[in-house]
Amino acid sequence: MHGITRRGFLRWGCMHCALVAGAANAQQMQGLGDWAVPPRFAAPDPASDEGGLWATMAREEQRLRRSPFMIRDNELREYLQGIACKLGADHCPDIRVYAVRAAMFNASMAPNGMMQVWSGLLLRMENEAQLAAVLGHEIGHFLQRHSLERLRDARVRSAFGVFMAAFGLVGAVAQLGALAGQFAYSREQEREADRIGLELMSAAGYDTREASKVWANLLAEAAARPGSDSSSNSVLFATHPASPERRDMLAKLARPGGETREQAYQAQLRRLYPELLDDEVRRGQYDESMMLLDRLIDRQGRRSELLYFRGEVRRLRAQDDDLDRALVDLRAATDAEGGLPQAHRGLGLLYRARNDLPNARAAFVRYLELAPQAGDAGIIKTYLDEMKS
Amino acid sequence: MMRLLALVLVFLVTGCVTVAKVDKGQQIVQGRLVVELEGPWNQFASVGQAQIPTWTIDGFSVDRLQFFVGVTDGAVLAPAQPGAKDQRPLVFRAQMQPHEIVALYETYLTRDGSAFKLDRLEPIQFLGGQGFRFAYLLTRRMDGVQLSGVGYGAVRGGELFGIVYQAPRLGFFPRYSKQIETMALSARLN
Repeated sequence: MHGITRRGFLRWGCMHCALVAGAANAQQMQGLGDWAVPPRFAAPDPASDEGGLWATMAREEQRLRRSPFMIRDNELREYLQGIACKLGADHCPDIRVYAVRAAMFNASMAPNGMMQVWSGLLLRMENEAQLAAVLGHEIGHFLQRHSLERLRDARVRSAFGVFMAAFGLVGAVAQLGALAGQFAYSREQEREADRIGLELMSAAGYDTREASKVWANLLAEAAARPGSDSSSNSVLFATHPASPERRDMLAKLARPGGETREQAYQAQLRRLYPELLDDEVRRGQYDESMMLLDRLIDRQGRRSELLYFRGEVRRLRAQDDDLDRALVDLRAATDAEGGLPQAHRGLGLLYRARNDLPNARAAFVRYLELAPQAGDAGIIKTYLDEMKS
Repeated sequence: MMRLLALVLVFLVTGCVTVAKVDKGQQIVQGRLVVELEGPWNQFASVGQAQIPTWTIDGFSVDRLQFFVGVTDGAVLAPAQPGAKDQRPLVFRAQMQPHEIVALYETYLTRDGSAFKLDRLEPIQFLGGQGFRFAYLLTRRMDGVQLSGVGYGAVRGGELFGIVYQAPRLGFFPRYSKQIETMALSARLN
């Protein structure tokens, strides 16, 4: 977006999308009947119950803006906002997208137009069309005012405080798994939002076949966990359980054509990968992470940072032939140009555990050359001293 | 109000919490780890984490001191979170190197979505032999509060022993870090 102001970009995006959306309304997707994008919503009367909910959400949004978990990356913010505007068309001025650092797969939209997209979701999307499928789904909830119904329901059940504690701001992630089911959208609302999401994707020129792939990938990741054949009980997917029915329905409704915009998406995500993958490894859910990293490597090639993180997952999981395969990944990661210094440390730790001291020493020395100020330099030097004796 | 509700939620989900006073002077944790206390502490014994003695001075949501005493090879360091039955347990292995033990603790601290940054990992004399000390920053998910933490660990005879203290970076941590350091460095096995 060099040379273009954010406001100018959004104005261009909204104008462009309004035109496309208008054309697309004439060819609606199966299952939505005569649904059309509703006109922009007026701000509710502050004295009404909806006005009260909006005021609560506005306070949450203020907190979110100040939160240390908000990803403060202007380029990413403009990019996400641009996609939301393409999808939301006339509603663009009412939608505000925030990228939040959280390793789970989650996106949500409040009735006042505040949308959160979590970094674990960004990491799992392969292209812009897949992200548009998720954002379109959330905008679908917004256009049908499902989230307003959900908040009202929570308030009627005197569970509003619990709801906000778990889902407000950036959410108490630990409790999502326990509480998501109680506050979930109805199955019919989810189906409706899925169909609207596809409609909005199509209108914005995206390849709608990518929507079902989002859920197919999540199902594969969930199935990687030992003893589990469903994503329904995973914290990772707590608020968006993937199901074969959902995947199949989206595949059935998709039409050929449209763009995936994979390169544009990767151009945004690549600079964030080290931090996002660090968070992913830290989750300690190594089977899911392995499935994800295998997929990223299949898709993007044997890039050194991806190999490093897969090597680390294998090194930390340490099951079966993990350590042998970690060695292969970490060697490849350290051989590549521009690899992360931590890859040399990982390799050194692996060699040290195998009592291969000459190779451990070489790897640690290289790590300290590349990262002399590293916080763990002290203990690495101790390892080197031990190897001398 | 929202933070209070969130804390209540945590207590509800994790089970009841009882508090007992720990007097200053010599204390033996789980019959094996001897520490000298400069002042009194409060001990939490929660149902869900009974195997990790957890003490505090200013309250559970403010500061906490945790002891890992004689964690054996294959033992679970921390139980799975409520509502996440599929979560991989955090298992200690006797052959783990300090980096791997810290990574395990890091996962334990960040399972609620908090953000962890390892600041330092260095060798230190602990429990009469070689050990390690690590310092970290934790941004708590629930309220965005930044916490500082310091941990001391060693593997003796295949068992893990550790003392970890964390408190808000501003005010609380600097106030107590000196006495924590003194206590940790004078700790011994019974």
